[in-house]
Amino acid sequence: MSMDWLVPAASLLPLTAAFALLALRRLTAQAAARVGTLTCLATLILAVAATLITSDTGADHLEVDAPWVPALGMRAHLGLDGVSAPLVLLTALLGLLVCAHLVKIRPATASRANGRQLVACVLAVTGGAIATFTALDLLLFFVAFETVLIPMWFVIAVWGDDQQAGGEATRRDAANRFILYTATGSAVMLLGIILIALRTGTTDLVDLAQQGGSEMSTGVQIIAAVLIVLGLAVKAPMWPLHTWLPPAHTIAPTAGSVLLAGVLLKMGTYGLVRVAVPVLPEGMAEIAPYLGVFGVVGILWGGLACLVERDLKRLVALSSVAHMGFVLVGVASMTPTGLQGALFANIAHGIVTALLFFVVGALKDRHHSADLGVLGSGLRDRLPRLGWLLTLGAVAGLGLPGLAVFWGELLAITGAWESTVLGDLARPLAVLAAIGTAVAAAYWLRVLRVLWHGPPDERWTPSDLEPVTIGDATAHESITTAPLVLATVALGLAPGPLLALTAPAVRLLLGVEVSP
Amino acid sequence: MTVNLTGVPSIDLLAITPVIAPVIALILILLIDALVPGGTRWRPAMDAIGLVGLIGAAVAVAALARDGSGPDRSTSCVTGPAGLLPQCSFVTSDLTLSLQAVILLAAVGCLLLSIDGPAASDRTSHHVLLLAAVAGATALAGARDLATLVVALETASLPAIGLIALRRDAQGAQAGVTMLLTAVASLGLLMLGVALIFLATGSLYLETIATTLSGSDLRPPVLAVAGLGTALSIAGIGFKISLVPFHLWTPDTYAGAPLPIAAFLSTVSKAAGVAALAVLLGLGLAPLAHVWVPIVGVLAVITMTVGNLVALRQQVAVRLLAWSTVAQAGWVLVPFASIDGSTEGIRTALAASVGYLLAYVVAGLAAFAVVVLLARHHPAGEEHTLQAYRGLARTEPLAAAVLGFALACLAGLPPGVMGLIAKVVVLKPLVDQQVWAIAGIAAVNVAIGLAYYLRWAGLLLAAPEQAPPRWRVRPAEGLVLGGAAAACVGLSVGGQFIAGLLPGVLH
Repeated sequence: MSMDWLVPAASLLPLTAAFALLALRRLTAQAAARVGTLTCLATLILAVAATLITSDTGADHLEVDAPWVPALGMRAHLGLDGVSAPLVLLTALLGLLVCAHLVKIRPATASRANGRQLVACVLAVTGGAIATFTALDLLLFFVAFETVLIPMWFVIAVWGDDQQAGGEATRRDAANRFILYTATGSAVMLLGIILIALRTGTTDLVDLAQQGGSEMSTGVQIIAAVLIVLGLAVKAPMWPLHTWLPPAHTIAPTAGSVLLAGVLLKMGTYGLVRVAVPVLPEGMAEIAPYLGVFGVVGILWGGLACLVERDLKRLVALSSVAHMGFVLVGVASMTPTGLQGALFANIAHGIVTALLFFVVGALKDRHHSADLGVLGSGLRDRLPRLGWLLTLGAVAGLGLPGLAVFWGELLAITGAWESTVLGDLARPLAVLAAIGTAVAAAYWLRVLRVLWHGPPDERWTPSDLEPVTIGDATAHESITTAPLVLATVALGLAPGPLLALTAPAVRLLLGVEVSP
Repeated sequence: MTVNLTGVPSIDLLAITPVIAPVIALILILLIDALVPGGTRWRPAMDAIGLVGLIGAAVAVAALARDGSGPDRSTSCVTGPAGLLPQCSFVTSDLTLSLQAVILLAAVGCLLLSIDGPAASDRTSHHVLLLAAVAGATALAGARDLATLVVALETASLPAIGLIALRRDAQGAQAGVTMLLTAVASLGLLMLGVALIFLATGSLYLETIATTLSGSDLRPPVLAVAGLGTALSIAGIGFKISLVPFHLWTPDTYAGAPLPIAAFLSTVSKAAGVAALAVLLGLGLAPLAHVWVPIVGVLAVITMTVGNLVALRQQVAVRLLAWSTVAQAGWVLVPFASIDGSTEGIRTALAASVGYLLAYVVAGLAAFAVVVLLARHHPAGEEHTLQAYRGLARTEPLAAAVLGFALACLAGLPPGVMGLIAKVVVLKPLVDQQVWAIAGIAAVNVAIGLAYYLRWAGLLLAAPEQAPPRWRVRPAEGLVLGGAAAACVGLSVGGQFIAGLLPGVLH
């Protein structure tokens, strides 16, 4: 029996559930979150099944293909291969955890506007992201890429942080900045996509990857590559187009921050690997050095900014810029190693940053601030479970060997070192990126020294006069973060299976012959 | 095509049914009014006759489209000068039919929307004026000579003045006068332009004008006169489409007119203007493409930019919609910038324009339907600001969903896939001809437009300030709301309809 239906089902299920939740007016926020959890669980099961089948059959992946808008050559072509499968799994997992988190959300956040609609937005983002990761038609990819924007805008603008100065205006500002940056970027990308479609006569990504740019002159490839990379770089985000990211991540509720970091940023880098590198190899080779330089600047700039940042949530957001810099450097190397590293770093960053945002969200709920000074020292003794979770996220974030982030960044740096398209820049960039890991160690250790270390902060310690109201991570919180902890350790100790899953697909995308 | 050698043109009745059907309905309504003046019992009959007239026209369009295997139908033809083919005043081509379909679709929506609004007190005037304007607009789509074009365009625009004045207060009168002055000024410009084109080419028939202008032995003064005529005609028609800088009447008129009439201005009238421009420039003045392509292209991007930027600052819902229709008009016309003078280029550009027009009209009607409903239930009436939409998702979830979806379609972001596909369709010819400057400005405009559509949509989910009264949706309004929403969803799923609207050859 053909199992091809698994692929569209994985994106249509959450999208349909999102619409259903909008229609079911009687549902309470909590019931809606339960429905969302079940939906994402079913999606995750579908994704796991599809991944198992894909890795079994090797190069021959699952796919469905049907005409949609013949006049534009647009087809409903969806498929799953080694590059998309890990991201689909990550998206489904994070959707599941976010919905589970929303089951026991603070009542204040839920009542501001209907929590049911928040769950619907989360499901829409999950479904749209899965559709993006499985789309094998350029225009369908674009439609799916845009699908997540409006739900995410609502998540930030309506359910964002209400303790910031300015209230609704600040939320609106952050949400607008997010959507205006990304929408401008994607409109520019659309021009590039149309150019490819016009010059090659097809929008099918499989066909386009097989052509490998042979239908387009180098000039056309460069124009298309610049347009598409610009659009994707806003999303990724690449320095200096990242300025939408810190406010968006800081203002967004925990659910929004986790999805932004874990899913939305990945769509940018996934687009580079899926579209830019295989379809426009010559164009990409021309602009790869720029991409590499901006990536490295992002690593160093993000790291330095983190060294002085006082807001923990903003710090995690800025560290994302640095982490995504590694992914960009890996893509810019255009070597199998670098690309593999980029894909690995993508997944690792998604898991670790999601974990960090969950922990920071929990801390912020308890202390009503994410400021390092307000949070105070001594988490180790005061809130040991949250303290340990934070520590794990931090040491994973600084690239400790044996945890997930390490392998991706190592491979990305290696890829840059041996890259030919980066030319003379290859080794300096690799060295600078390696220095970036040292900066990461510096800022994370600073955070741990301020928060984890030291005597428990007196303001938050129980006294006879003021019984403490702050509790450690609840069982519910521990369960929601447990899969991320497990994944961080598992990917760090055994990177093999994930690398084996992406390897054949990466070689195919780069047009490298698979050695027998 | 039959040519009568006695000089009296023969008429193909089916070909002109889309024009005649509204006129017959109009005459019947006038007759009823003459026989039973002021009779309220006949009101449903008048509504029915008006609707049947419009739907009959639409059925004729559908029948003609199904019959599309043979050559285009031409009618009221005369023998041309020696050696030339017969010249026809009215041609039913794919372009004609698709424009007529969009116009009639919008007209049915506007008529239904008006029945409980401006038409409630004055059925006869409203229906007669609306049907006359629609007849003019459908005639415009088929017009193939300058005289028919001008007469049809004026038939389509002058009744709109009466419609605006149906709101019998100072503001309505002021809006009517603004529109009247605008219409007279634009008519003057258009007449002058058309006269210069006639002077340069010696013919009123678009086909002959095109042949004459593509001749190789044209003297520069002739070209200069024809070019000036072209520019003046664009200005004259530009008023109808609210092209910047001929748009200044738009916001005040929209705000002063009854809301359903504003919907009419932004859909039927605008479609008529686009039809006039498409027919005149694309068919008659194709050889002068190098003159008018830069003019229309630059005006289009200026129009969308100015419309979007001013819309950013609007607080009153109808004014925001007015400025957004200005911006959307720019989107409709921007494919013209890609024309390189070849027939294929013109065909692609016109197909993109008409496809975008369809998406815009459907989404615009859905948005207007919700605005009309809200205005009736809000103390501020038609002057209500965007704040009136705060919390609509809780009190009126269905209407909020329709408005949200329509705004997403206008912005061109999923879930409004229809709008996204329409934007792809419009940008495609621009990228193909590598008109990067204009394509780039258009791309930036996507983001600017998004800002205010989202500002509006965001209020729908916010917590309401006070419990507003429950809405009582009347059947006709419900029909428009449901129909437009269904069309938005349908065109989002079947994007092929927008992208492949105009397959055939141009005539």
